[in-house]
Amino acid sequence: MLIQFKNVFVHRDARVVLSGINLSLTEQRIGIMGPNGSGKSTLIRLINGLLLPHSGQILVDGRDTRQDVRAIRRSVGFVFQNPDNQIVFPIVHEDIEFGLKHREPDAATRRARARVALEQLSIGHLADRLTHTLSGGERQLVALAAVLATEPELLVFDEPTTQLDLRLRNHFARVLSTLHQPTIIVSHDFELMQTMQRVLVIRDACLAFDGAPGQALAWYREHCA
Amino acid sequence: MNAAFYVVGQSPIHRLPAGRKLATLALAGAALMWVHQWQFLCLALVLVLGLLALSGVTFRQLLIQVRLLGWFILALGAYSAWAESPALALEMMLRMSTLVIAAQLVSMTTPLTQMMTVVEKVLAPLDRLGWVRAERVALACGLTLRLIPELALQWQDIREAQAARGLKPGVLTMLLPMLLRTMRRAEELAEAIDARSSG
Repeated sequence: MLIQFKNVFVHRDARVVLSGINLSLTEQRIGIMGPNGSGKSTLIRLINGLLLPHSGQILVDGRDTRQDVRAIRRSVGFVFQNPDNQIVFPIVHEDIEFGLKHREPDAATRRARARVALEQLSIGHLADRLTHTLSGGERQLVALAAVLATEPELLVFDEPTTQLDLRLRNHFARVLSTLHQPTIIVSHDFELMQTMQRVLVIRDACLAFDGAPGQALAWYREHCA
Repeated sequence: MNAAFYVVGQSPIHRLPAGRKLATLALAGAALMWVHQWQFLCLALVLVLGLLALSGVTFRQLLIQVRLLGWFILALGAYSAWAESPALALEMMLRMSTLVIAAQLVSMTTPLTQMMTVVEKVLAPLDRLGWVRAERVALACGLTLRLIPELALQWQDIREAQAARGLKPGVLTMLLPMLLRTMRRAEELAEAIDARSSG
């Protein structure tokens, strides 16, 4: 999958959030780092049209996010930083099935796909649980299962390990390594970033560094710590 | 307070189709308006409590959800006894208690998506006429039901945070953060639904 940012600018009120971003992303595992408020989350929200640029263009496999947002959202799965923002319905399987409503007309198939996605993450036992009774880590995995159930071609994660304890973080990293889809991950998790093929560092609304993880992390430590 | 009305279970009440439960609730609600003998109203209340027991929902779970409404019914009853008569107050309190418990029983035994499907089906003829978007109305109803308990939790959080800072709960100290958090939550929810829907 090819994602292109062409001279992208985003403003919020008078503040520039992203400035002149030019990128071409093709790697299987891409990490994005940067200080808080640098524009990382904005950058990934542009990929599936949750935000539109004030100027410039974002193309996902040649499709413009301004013109083809439905098709793009169908192929780009987005996992939010806070799973509570993503989980809409009170029962786990109900929430996962909700995301499939426009993709799969048959309720039984929707339920089966939800089960498969939960099993893929080894959390099939949570299917009938109430979402508010789950731990933060379990909710994060449910949010990921909800996205996986839609069978996206690309996965975008916004700080997915922030709320996970060490055990769940390691489980998440293992799950991530088994996913066949290309993934783009915003994270402050250095260990996770080491496993990427390419790491972008965003600072002060600009693309400050773009390269291999080792070099990117060294650059980040030197300039952003 | 739970962040959801629904109580997981496999009771016969849980297994009843949502449409049947909602239709029965609507008919029973209308019928109760025509009943004025306290003996019959007592019988209706006992019947609803019997259904509650059958559903496996405990009385404590019910109380957690309807505690505030209970106080409201009591206050209304006291006013009615003073302004009208104790007999009328008793009648009103029995009727309202029965209806509230019956409605709560339906909420606690019916998954939200099943209720939304019923709303969608009921509105389908109007959708075909182009008067409403049934799916959107159903989603709005579902989200409203979903967020009521969450707003109560939010209220509790803010009250605790204010108390921790030594502030007394007041209109400004409570309502302003409540409003801001609710608006933020609405934005986040809209974004999540946008990200997940493609229809």
